[in-house]
Amino acid sequence: MAVRWVGIFSFFFGFLLTSWGQENFRTFTASSGQAFTGRVLSYEGQTFYIQGKDNKLYPVPFKQLSPDDQKYLIQVTREGKVPKGDPRKLKPSPTPTDNPSVASSSEGEEIISRPPSKPKSSFRKGSFFAYKPVNLGQDPTMALETTKVVSLPGPDEPVDFQSHVLPILEERCLSCHNAPYDKNGRTIHPKAGLRLDTYEWVMKGNLDDTVVEAGSLENSYLYEVITLDQEDDMFMPPKGGPLTPEQIEVIKRWIEDGAKPSVAGGGEVASSDMSQGVSFDDHVFPLIEERCLDCHSEPYVKNGRTIHPKAGLRLDTYEWIIKGNLDGAIIEKGDPDGSTLIGVVTLDDDDPEIMPPKGEPLTKEEIDMLIQWIKEGAKENPSDTFTKPEEVVSVNPKDAVKELSLIDQLAKRLKPPSRPQMEAAQKSGALVTLLSTRHSMVRAEFSSGPNSIKDDAIGALSGIKNNVSHLDLSRTSVTDGVLGEVKKFNNLTWLSLKNTSVTDRGIENLTKLPYLTYLNLVSSKVTDQSIQSISSLKTLEEVYLWNSKVSAQGIARLRKALPDAKILH
Amino acid sequence: MKTDIKKLDELSRREFVASAAKACLGVGLLPMAGSYIHNNVKALTPGSRPAVARYVIYLNMTGAMSHLDTFGTNPDAPDIQGPTKSIQTSADGVILSENLPLTAQHMHNAAIIRTMSTSQGAHEQASYLMHTSYLKRGTIAHPTFGSWVSKLSGGINKTIPTNVQIGSNPAGAGFLESKFGPLPIGNPAAGLANSKLADYIDQSRFGGRLAMAQKMNQSYSEKYDQKQVRAYSDLYKDAIKLMRSEDLKAFDITLEPEQMHELYGTSNFGQGCLLARRLIENQVRYVEVSRGGWDTHDNNFESVATNCADMDKALSALLLDLEMRGLLKETMVVLTSEFGRTPKINERDGRDHWPYGFTAFLAGGGIKGGTVYGKMDKVGRNPEEGKFVDPASLNATIAHAMGLPLNDVQYSPSGRPFTVAHDGNPLFDVLA
Repeated sequence: MAVRWVGIFSFFFGFLLTSWGQENFRTFTASSGQAFTGRVLSYEGQTFYIQGKDNKLYPVPFKQLSPDDQKYLIQVTREGKVPKGDPRKLKPSPTPTDNPSVASSSEGEEIISRPPSKPKSSFRKGSFFAYKPVNLGQDPTMALETTKVVSLPGPDEPVDFQSHVLPILEERCLSCHNAPYDKNGRTIHPKAGLRLDTYEWVMKGNLDDTVVEAGSLENSYLYEVITLDQEDDMFMPPKGGPLTPEQIEVIKRWIEDGAKPSVAGGGEVASSDMSQGVSFDDHVFPLIEERCLDCHSEPYVKNGRTIHPKAGLRLDTYEWIIKGNLDGAIIEKGDPDGSTLIGVVTLDDDDPEIMPPKGEPLTKEEIDMLIQWIKEGAKENPSDTFTKPEEVVSVNPKDAVKELSLIDQLAKRLKPPSRPQMEAAQKSGALVTLLSTRHSMVRAEFSSGPNSIKDDAIGALSGIKNNVSHLDLSRTSVTDGVLGEVKKFNNLTWLSLKNTSVTDRGIENLTKLPYLTYLNLVSSKVTDQSIQSISSLKTLEEVYLWNSKVSAQGIARLRKALPDAKILH
Repeated sequence: MKTDIKKLDELSRREFVASAAKACLGVGLLPMAGSYIHNNVKALTPGSRPAVARYVIYLNMTGAMSHLDTFGTNPDAPDIQGPTKSIQTSADGVILSENLPLTAQHMHNAAIIRTMSTSQGAHEQASYLMHTSYLKRGTIAHPTFGSWVSKLSGGINKTIPTNVQIGSNPAGAGFLESKFGPLPIGNPAAGLANSKLADYIDQSRFGGRLAMAQKMNQSYSEKYDQKQVRAYSDLYKDAIKLMRSEDLKAFDITLEPEQMHELYGTSNFGQGCLLARRLIENQVRYVEVSRGGWDTHDNNFESVATNCADMDKALSALLLDLEMRGLLKETMVVLTSEFGRTPKINERDGRDHWPYGFTAFLAGGGIKGGTVYGKMDKVGRNPEEGKFVDPASLNATIAHAMGLPLNDVQYSPSGRPFTVAHDGNPLFDVLA
């Protein structure tokens, strides 16, 4: 596989090789037993660039070659017959070659996979090549064209994150604080572990702390570092001079106004109201997720085999849906009748081709919604995915579907934790699992040997604290101290402190959790003094206080304060 | 003696090793002949949706419970109903038999499927179908639903098993690795048998014996470093891990206060339900509790009433206890049997086998409370409302709520494909 990729890679760069190759062709043998004929052109670190008979260039790690080859290479390099450096950059020959690929390759001096420039329009519409490549782990929306209006807000105009703040960050911060990307085979991580490329990341801060606190300039480290004295070590940006006063003013006003996310594209979250047009996020994708993704999802590995999406068709993101498969696009924007997607879902019930093949066919409403969406141009119409906590109160406590959608809404704002983050979190002794595949929210529970779990165990979870939606501390040896940490788990919806020695002092810490819907204090030491703290958690739907020290009067007060919640005593 | 020798014939190699270990090491390797604990925990594998039911307690009424006298009464058809009356429940418009007054108070958290049907009319085959979603065949042993849960999602608690069977009839992991099969517990009051060292063996002596056993095995296990061989040493490791674990207390219902025992009732089934709740609290994912005595060919009405007395007490206690502890939201309680009993009352005042229109009671996690799916006609043969629901679809419904991938194919050793709920489709009418 790797050789194939090297082949494809060198296809672009192959012909620029020049007269450096003084060495003779010989047969190299890899330690895996493969052999090929080529001549060594140059080396760089532990990598040797070997030109095959086909004129393609193969970077080969030294260690992968047989001992004989290694000896040979050591010899020729000692004798200085082989230059150091990437042969594509050595560029010794003054004679321009007639191959156009040379000219283009010289632009890409470094092999950096950044979002590249505009794709050439010559590609067929819907072609694979017409899309920008996106790094693994990056937001696929990077593949889309985004036009940003860079402007400063007027004095009375509210500061918008997307159109005012982000352009400043992009211009001055993202060269260091961007999403991890790949450079020469190494992953370049954002400096200080701080990413500023999306609203969520800006608000999340890094492992040290958050960098923006809504409404508070003093507590917003981001603002502090850009306003420091320029000689200060921590002054940002370290290169290219300070931000202009106007730019600083924008950031200042944005923080003072509450550091709100962009309101562009507004609209109610998960609303079924389509009067504003069909939204992909709110209307189309939930349907596709439910009915199509079992088969048309990203490839995954099962039992050591890669399971590819059926018919080579992926429907797990907007881009993939628009892209279609090798047979062509499945959606013709504006033309439902010409869209294969509509064709296959409207076939007769007993037609073997009908989609989805399992379960009931789509309902008429669902099909009409898809048709309307395509008629409107199959636009993404992203919704504002932020829910204010006040809106959550209206959620019917018995309705699990809505409760899930709250978690899904929270999940939309975040990226799933990375593997190393998950592994670090497991060190706490917790079992940390994603709520489901492709979900950003995790559940952390201390199921085995909970007795040995003390307050400090929570520290290991701090790296993913925003991703934790469910935290089960039941039966552990934690004390009130642990809740001082738990209060920083902003997106917590479910918390169990059953059978712990937590008291009223600990519960006071929970009042700032904006999304808490489930609180289990069964067999804890909580008394009536906590009723006020619990009452202030207006998002609560379920409170379990059986076998705690809360009295019947306390329960009555709580029921009055939280009339919609299910309170068991 | 004769029976012992006969038994020995039936011992598999694995069982032989286990009993040899029992003799040599002075410790019964728990009642498990395989490793039931997920070693190197493949941590809980998330499904494609967040699970709304993380735990399942499956109450299996073996011998076929009379649906007409429990969850499927039909007051419109006095001919088939016999003397059993119906009562109102906590859910509007939902009725239950008068034999279940306590469970009736929990109907707002529960749903009933009244049009279950199966293709099997004999206990063993029907029970097999209910548990595996596949017909019993001579050529293959299918995994039980609990084994599928264990296989597809892994365990939550690293030290105790994922899948536990309380009461009779431990069916196995089928063609899946035996570690996914249920850990059988015969008597709930006795807890996990043979999990303690004999009195005369102290820790150092035990350590010495282990070291010696390891030494004896060393050359063999080095020579044959294979999955199956390693499985034997894993068996020791897991057993010892569990023996020394605090979590072993999960199996000990004597630690429960007296009023809890009373709440659940002192019957074997009641105590089994209590143990099930303890296990769920310790994050065992799938517990099955069985209760026999429902094969009421004679004297149906009296027997059912007697059986219901403790079943009703235990079931309602379980639902109440789970709810008070905040566990009901994530725990699905299922009560059903392999088939139902005839609408026609026979000359011995009994009811015979009847595979049409029996009932499944589902409560708690993921279930739309206060729902009834389907209604049988006046002769109890065909659905008047709704469609027949086969065992595979019931299992698919549970699997869906647990977030298990219904399309995940596991291959038998001969390469045939099987899925958790065969060709069943989730019955979304009862899911929240």
